[in-house]
Amino acid sequence: MPLETATGAVRTGLIAFAFLSYLILIGIPGRIGGPALPVLALIAALFFWLKLRRESNEPSREATGQRQDSFDDKPGWEIGPRAASKGSRLRDLLHTHSGTAPILYGLLAGLTTGLLIAIVSGIFAAAMGNGIAIQPVLDKIVPLNVAALIGVSPGQIAQSDVSFIRFIFQVLLFAGAGVLAGLTAAGGGYGLKQAAFLDRLTTHLSGATLTSAGRFAGMALPFVLLAYIAWLGLPGVTAFGTNEGTVRLLLTLIATGSGLFTLRLSRPGREQMAVAVLLGLGVFSMPFILDQFQNSVMGLVFIFVMMGLGLNIVVGYAGLLDLGYVAFFAIGAYTYAFLSAPFSSPYISGLLILLGISPESPLLGYWMALPVAMLTAAVGGILLGIPVLRLRGDYLAIVTLGFGEIIRLFMLNLGELTNGPRGILEISQPALFGHTPVDVTFGLLSSQGWIFLLALVSSALVAFVATRLNESRLGRAWFAMQEDEDVAEATGVHLVRTKLLAFAIGATFAGMAGQLYAARQINIFPENFSLFVSIDALALIIVGGIGSPAGIVLGALALKGLPEVLRGVDEYRIVTFAALLVIMMIVRPDGILPSARRRIQSPDPEEAGAAGEPELREEDPGLRENGEALAKGAGVREEDP
Amino acid sequence: MTALLSIQQVTKVFGGLTAVDSVDLDIAERSITSLIGPNGAGKTTLFNCMTGLHRPEGGEILFSGRSLIGLRPDEIIDRGVARTYQNIRLFGRMTALENVLVGQHLRLQASHWSAVLRTSRQQAEERAAREFGRELLDFVGLSGREEVVSTNLPYGDQRLLEVARALGSRPSLLLLDEPAAGMNPSETDSMMDLVHRLRDEKGITVFLIEHDMKVVMSISESVAVLDYGEKIAEGTPEEVRSNARVIEAYLGPEVAVQEAAVKAVH
Ligand SMILES: Nc1ncnc2c1ncn2[C@@H]1O[C@H](COP(=O)(O)OP(=O)(O)OP(=O)(O)O)[C@@H](O)[C@H]1O
Ligand SMILES: [Mg+2]
Repeated sequence: MPLETATGAVRTGLIAFAFLSYLILIGIPGRIGGPALPVLALIAALFFWLKLRRESNEPSREATGQRQDSFDDKPGWEIGPRAASKGSRLRDLLHTHSGTAPILYGLLAGLTTGLLIAIVSGIFAAAMGNGIAIQPVLDKIVPLNVAALIGVSPGQIAQSDVSFIRFIFQVLLFAGAGVLAGLTAAGGGYGLKQAAFLDRLTTHLSGATLTSAGRFAGMALPFVLLAYIAWLGLPGVTAFGTNEGTVRLLLTLIATGSGLFTLRLSRPGREQMAVAVLLGLGVFSMPFILDQFQNSVMGLVFIFVMMGLGLNIVVGYAGLLDLGYVAFFAIGAYTYAFLSAPFSSPYISGLLILLGISPESPLLGYWMALPVAMLTAAVGGILLGIPVLRLRGDYLAIVTLGFGEIIRLFMLNLGELTNGPRGILEISQPALFGHTPVDVTFGLLSSQGWIFLLALVSSALVAFVATRLNESRLGRAWFAMQEDEDVAEATGVHLVRTKLLAFAIGATFAGMAGQLYAARQINIFPENFSLFVSIDALALIIVGGIGSPAGIVLGALALKGLPEVLRGVDEYRIVTFAALLVIMMIVRPDGILPSARRRIQSPDPEEAGAAGEPELREEDPGLRENGEALAKGAGVREEDP
Repeated sequence: MTALLSIQQVTKVFGGLTAVDSVDLDIAERSITSLIGPNGAGKTTLFNCMTGLHRPEGGEILFSGRSLIGLRPDEIIDRGVARTYQNIRLFGRMTALENVLVGQHLRLQASHWSAVLRTSRQQAEERAAREFGRELLDFVGLSGREEVVSTNLPYGDQRLLEVARALGSRPSLLLLDEPAAGMNPSETDSMMDLVHRLRDEKGITVFLIEHDMKVVMSISESVAVLDYGEKIAEGTPEEVRSNARVIEAYLGPEVAVQEAAVKAVH
């Protein structure tokens, strides 16, 4: 095996180990218990397999310079209709590889991961066996996890009667996982020349049948999950005996996320329409089948989806890095709070009394307040936009960051107007035809379910508007501005108008999200609107895939939903996300579900120009003719820089 | 005959360097005019002054009798002055057709609300824009390349696409900054043909910067020469070719004769 392949395998092993450490850190093995190690090994195998597939795909990706429009083109995701035809191309490409290479690769990667796991769990086991106290926070989960990894009960570790064989077993297990991955990859395309039997088998079975079976299985997943979630909601049914609420939440997150993949797996046309309708029905039934806790989490997730979609207009479409996005969220929330909560500042109540309105009762209901909150946020967006029109890149980021903080400090310190750190309490709830939703639906829809439903509908609306705008001339102007601001202007894009529109529309969506957030929280405080909200919103679009609404939903599920599943290990949230982000960026640098535009790796335009020109010019046959023209006394063309 | 574009005493200074020095130049309607001069003579800077990228320190630029000074670049292209760039500046991640659609941006009227609602008028406008975009790509010789992402186009095609994008705004004056730079002879020939067709079929006045003397001499009806920011000559290609100051500017006083002899041998 060539040296680069070997180092590549070791590196793959290291990345797998990093990812598994993350899973261990957030306490997954402890929760799984006995079968933890095989599960981790399987995850590692999956990772190796993806890696092997990706590597075998790389040349074909470079060869086809065209934009990858279909999700199926992304290596590792070829369950779709295109997989069959792709196989043969792969086969041609890989004939140079020897059949054993992927197996050795997998073995080496697996050995690396397994050794590291064994060493780390060994160290921890030894430490615990010798009674060395680990940091108090770690103590809560480490023993359980280490025990699960080694396959003993926590008590046994303390007695230090863990036999050495168990660690050997760990290494072997991961090595085996690696070999398995290698074998699978070989069967799937690598070693087909050698594995003539497999070749014949797949030909006979016709790839199409297999892949379409896999495709339909994948497409069925969200519906199966939804049915299971609904079943779990029935009285007297329990999941795995423990932690029922969390399990249901996790399944809900997976069902929602896999729904997006299902949509991509379906063939465009009638099939896609049918799937979309079914998915829509499924998703909109969720608020009715989940309980208060799950609904409140999903509500938050979709409030952040709205935020992400809005921020995506500014950052993803127009390319303006805005770190103060929370400001508009806060403006929306506080506007609604002012209009609907009993608290009223002395100024406002004075004004109200003058106008003959009682300051005690809420001024406007949710629906009447909605346009006001949106408008206020939009004005905020324009007010922020004007001073930063001429700023680019880092400078823009810093100034907007400041703006976000200013609004929060404003809410904090203008006590007379905003009630300062005591916040605004008892914000009224959105009504459904003038009644509470629980009454109207005969208890089917809980109050949090109602918020979730509203968040879903608003997100769908926002996604619709954002997508339509992006596909119009405005979207093209935004993208042109992102590509080259000066040229965009010289091509006829009115920069001021186009930028302010991005800021204003983005802010409007954040204002909507903020209003719903205020209704969900009932009481809001300035610290709800810290810098971290901006960072969360930005992180979720980066993780999900900048510019892609589906990616944003996935990002929100991962970043706002998962932590709630992991409530028990709250201390690790920040570490968790750092790790998750880093891994994400290594594995899928363009996000989980990137937009088509983001997927083409364009070289820097200036570089391209510089690289292209001199080459062409050196052997420019026109030079000689120039010389002749010059001889007639015209002039010399000097070498261009 | 009145000039379509009239540059009067335009001066542009960068720090201590006068890149364009009191240049006067008239461009007749439906003419093909070349601007030549050694590297750093200020040719591109003059283009930048005309398209609003730079604001000249002095002078006046009249287009169809109205001043362009102080207008924003997007207002200038709206008046009918479009351009291409010496170092290709396409919107790299957009397809060829999308580039041309951005070129048409300011000719599209549909409101953003109508884009959200996809009204029939907005849809009709988009369809027409796509149709026109395809026509333009066809006109410059890029038919069949509509969906290719522009960075993936061959170098020569990128230059053609810049022309097509500029045409999207339906200009009456087109400024081409070294359109044939880096092209092979056959590409150069088709670019020259394209310039002729721009004028003959579309009635567009062309003002171009070019280093390739073969192109300049065969294509232009009049030639202006810049050196160190100053216009040192103007006239028909024949007049400029035999102008003593031009030869000197290009070759330097002593080496002029030597250099010409060497080139003749090749
Ligand atoms: N933005 C700028 N800031 C400072 N100096 C500049 C700027 N743009 C151009 N210059 C200078 O002005 C002079 C004229 O440059 P310009 O690009 O107009 O030359 P040119 O005639 O187009 O040359 P070339 O044939 O190389 O394209 C050069 O000395 C250049 O360094
Ligand atoms: Mg130049």
